Amino acid sequence: MKKQFLIFSVLLIFMLTTVAYAGVPLNTVEKTVKKVLDVLRDPQLKAPAAKEIKKQKLRTIYEEMFDRIEFSKRTLARNWNKFSPAQRAEFVNLFEQVLEKAYIDKILDYSNEKIDFYKENMVSENQAEIQSKIITAAKEIPVYYRVILKDGKWRVYDVVVENVSLVQNYRTQFNEILSDQTPEQLLEILHKKVKTHD
Amino acid sequence: MILYGSSFMKLQLSLILLYILLLGCAHSPNHSSDTGQAKSSSPPGVLLASNSDLLPVKQADELNDAIHEEYKDDEHPDYADDANKKEKVKIADPIEPFNRAMYHFNDRLYFWLLKPVAQGYKAVVPEPARVGMKNFFSNLGFPGRFLSCLLQADFTGALTELGRVTVNTIWGVGGLLDPAADKKLGLRKQETDLGQTLGVYGIGHGFYIVWPFLGPSSPRDTLTIAGDYFIDPLSYIELWYAVAGIRFYDVINSTSLRLGEYESLKDAAIDPYIAMRDAYIQYRWKKIQERQIKSLLFKAGGEADAAEDLASSNK
Repeated sequence: MKKQFLIFSVLLIFMLTTVAYAGVPLNTVEKTVKKVLDVLRDPQLKAPAAKEIKKQKLRTIYEEMFDRIEFSKRTLARNWNKFSPAQRAEFVNLFEQVLEKAYIDKILDYSNEKIDFYKENMVSENQAEIQSKIITAAKEIPVYYRVILKDGKWRVYDVVVENVSLVQNYRTQFNEILSDQTPEQLLEILHKKVKTHD
Repeated sequence: MILYGSSFMKLQLSLILLYILLLGCAHSPNHSSDTGQAKSSSPPGVLLASNSDLLPVKQADELNDAIHEEYKDDEHPDYADDANKKEKVKIADPIEPFNRAMYHFNDRLYFWLLKPVAQGYKAVVPEPARVGMKNFFSNLGFPGRFLSCLLQADFTGALTELGRVTVNTIWGVGGLLDPAADKKLGLRKQETDLGQTLGVYGIGHGFYIVWPFLGPSSPRDTLTIAGDYFIDPLSYIELWYAVAGIRFYDVINSTSLRLGEYESLKDAAIDPYIAMRDAYIQYRWKKIQERQIKSLLFKAGGEADAAEDLASSNK
């Protein structure tokens, strides 16, 4: 009797965890986005002076959410091999900065649009695509997050906005640049871009 | 997540409505920016404002180790077997110098003409009125969308468009409002045009062209501009300068609703010309995939899960 009960409860736990696992990617992304929205909506941080604090808080969230190496690596694809390890590290860092400077102000401009996570597609056993949409006054904007499972955590490695993949878009740009310039020169270009933004 | 919305469908709308070469209307290469969550996670202690060339040694080492760890067996990160490889769409760009010149021309046109005028217009006219005008012009685009749906054998879409134009014209005060898209009716605009129709039939782009005023295009999409001209109700107004004025107004109106998008694109891009070209290709390709799924003739071409995506996202 005891043995059967034990087996039964183990099976039950197993089944429950399997069921819970099915929605993990979507839940992970949704929870993280909600954290971002909480920071953006925080009434105590409304003042312009609090902008830096908001940025810092958002940074810690992004660190969790994105797999920056995967993201950066995919934008270089074959060209990754042309970079030395030190150059790769610098690339990952510079690219992040480029993205942050490009998008942080827009994110801070958020004004209570509704974000709806409605679908999760398992592309393979460790990759998924989470579909969401932002509902503004004038239109609906589809935003898909592509996530990969590494070390037990689901992290974002690509964002697809209105059918345009960010990774693909940058990959094309970098490919073009690297077809007649060296990795060092690309790093210099990224560096300049980060500087001009300040 | 903040997005300034519209995408190449707006570009396409402009392509349909603006026969600038004939009438002198201007169109700027507006395009939705590839906004996404800022992918930032600077190592603690490295200020983003820092202009130092070198990472602090310790962080560089950690990052190096992380990179080595992850990819030591990975000789060729090509992602050829990546689950999302279906998106590797490309286009040839044999006339790149010309295209880049045209891109710069359109860029100047936007910043020197369209943007100032649109900003002035925006300051004077409240947003609901401008959205109303956008709906009005969109309603006029019915023949183009309806015909395209029919040609693509998407009869549901054609009927939806028919429903939309009826409801919006009668209950939507001549097209100023868009009650058809409300939850109860759920008749969504079928974002399609003749260029997509050709694409659905398997005709490729050809190569990349940037037209002055009109923006990104290709031989296939350019052919359809002529076709679209004949479907556009505005083309049948007798006074050419009246039509020109109306079309220019439409451009300014839609630009005023999308100010900031083009700037975002430029800002986020390392090479804005390429960013725009790539976004154009991706967007058009995806649209054609979606249209194929909706088409009765080409349904088999689309993938099953993409059909599901569409079904759920069209709710």
